[in-house]
Amino acid sequence: MIEIVLRRILISALVLVAVTVFCFLLLQLVPGDPAQVIAGPIAPPDVVASVRESLGLDRPLPYQFWAYASRLAAGDLGQSLISNRPVSTELAEAIGPTAELMFACLVWSIPAGTALGTLAAARQGSVIDRTIMALSVAGLSLPVFFICLLLTQLIGVTWQLLPFVGREGPLWTVEGLRHIALPALSLGLIFIGPVARISRSSVLEVMRLDHVRTARAKGLSQRRVLIKHVLRNALIPIVTLVGLQAGYLMGGAVVTESIFSWPGIGRLAVGSIVSSDFALAQGAIMVMAVSFMVINLLVDVLYALLDPRIQK
Amino acid sequence: MSQVDLPVTAEPPQATGTAAWWRRLLRDPMAVLALLVLAGISLAALFAPWLAPYDPYLNSRAIMQPPAWSDMGTTEYLLGTDAQGRDVLSRVLYGTRLTLLIGLAGAGFGGGLGALLGLVAAFSPRLDGPIMRIADMMLSLPAILLGLAIVAAVGQSLGAIILALAIASIPDCARIARGVGTSIMRQEFIEAGQALGLRNRTIFVRYLLRNALSSLLVYISMRFGQVILIGAALSFLGLGVRPPISELGMMAAQGRDVFLFAPHISVIPSLTIFVIVLAANVTGDALRDVLDPRMRSR
Repeated sequence: MIEIVLRRILISALVLVAVTVFCFLLLQLVPGDPAQVIAGPIAPPDVVASVRESLGLDRPLPYQFWAYASRLAAGDLGQSLISNRPVSTELAEAIGPTAELMFACLVWSIPAGTALGTLAAARQGSVIDRTIMALSVAGLSLPVFFICLLLTQLIGVTWQLLPFVGREGPLWTVEGLRHIALPALSLGLIFIGPVARISRSSVLEVMRLDHVRTARAKGLSQRRVLIKHVLRNALIPIVTLVGLQAGYLMGGAVVTESIFSWPGIGRLAVGSIVSSDFALAQGAIMVMAVSFMVINLLVDVLYALLDPRIQK
Repeated sequence: MSQVDLPVTAEPPQATGTAAWWRRLLRDPMAVLALLVLAGISLAALFAPWLAPYDPYLNSRAIMQPPAWSDMGTTEYLLGTDAQGRDVLSRVLYGTRLTLLIGLAGAGFGGGLGALLGLVAAFSPRLDGPIMRIADMMLSLPAILLGLAIVAAVGQSLGAIILALAIASIPDCARIARGVGTSIMRQEFIEAGQALGLRNRTIFVRYLLRNALSSLLVYISMRFGQVILIGAALSFLGLGVRPPISELGMMAAQGRDVFLFAPHISVIPSLTIFVIVLAANVTGDALRDVLDPRMRSR
């Protein structure tokens, strides 16, 4: 068990090194002079020269990497071209809203997806099962931007029920809640499909086990068997498998944030790439990759902790 | 010494014949419908230059003309026009070409390479560790992030998106292929082949690859839809092809600002993406059930 956790941590450490190398190499891949890219396309030659010297861009590649990694370790991610503020400050301000959006999405989509998946499994082969599965395939096939556009149009513009631009305060305030509702609803709608599919197959797996047959033989009601004996045991794989969909959710979040002008990391990353703010883009990509890595690590460890078969 | 005929034949069990699985696939009405839709859309995209009523880049004075079935619509522009007066039908036909290309190239190249690496990992215990550790590391970057990073580095282009999506498809397919390959390697016919002294290359190609092919094709076909969705999302965000080239995700983004007055500019390309991905997913599911009952969702 400890060996598994240690191995996961070791892999994560290697991934961290790989991500750092990857972000460093991004700058080398950019066509043209990296110093000019960082200083901006209209920067005068003396500014470009000072950037080159301060970042050591005229030195050999290994030295440059070492300097980059040292700056990263000290929390220095450079300066944003557009806002002229430290990249670390910009990122720190954007992490909260992204975490908030993820939370608001998961808090409704996981219970809803699990309930739908369980219902489909309990009525396997019925019209309900087929309808739920058909809807989940349809949900998996819908472009996330289309859902966002439709909800904005219907709920935001036509019915004027909810605001659809930006963030107004934290989640626990009324305005904060009103502003997060549409983005969280849109993001959740693309997530319900995979959660329902995973839940359905996990529940079906557990329903075949002996203890469920015993529970049925004891004469327990279908609902009681489902909730107490099946769902309880199916929840572990559901939670962990859903955790492994973090990359899918992150993709959705990037689009959702951009459409609803939600001030999170995804919108920051897209905006910085479109406006060629390289230091900010590099920082945003780094933070997203590290968060994804941490989520994966936590999910793996959680799975190892909860599943006795892995502990052996 | 007389020659002894070995009772064991090293011939691997062949998957059910093509005709048999094809017949089973055609028995599923949803699969038939999905295949017809995919074939129709692919043909329409392929013959876009002959089918498109107008030049997709030609601006006209008929700005934001609604589709023919709405009150203000005319049969001159069946799916209406966009904010620059360009014919939406012609642009959708041309845009579908690029969207399909992104899906095929991303899932095909990445999935193919990933599948090959996964099979090599299953075949050779020596290479298993290194290949799978690299795949694990690659999995730490979700496709959209890889897309953002590659576009940040090499600039917005179709090539950048295809490259990102192909790279992102490698680790997933490698993992699946390794799983499939490992279970095939445990079969007796592999042992028989080795006992008969067949070369490694023969065992790899004739025994492992051939038997793994159907499962891998199923997975790659299921990946096709996902690749299209991510590619369209990147294009929608302005990180894909540059205007005026038409691509469905970018077309949906172009109609965003005028959604209130002319929703068809966004809705039609978005629905086209939805139909392609839905048909691909349904086909993938049906293919899985037919070709690889082990992967069937219960």
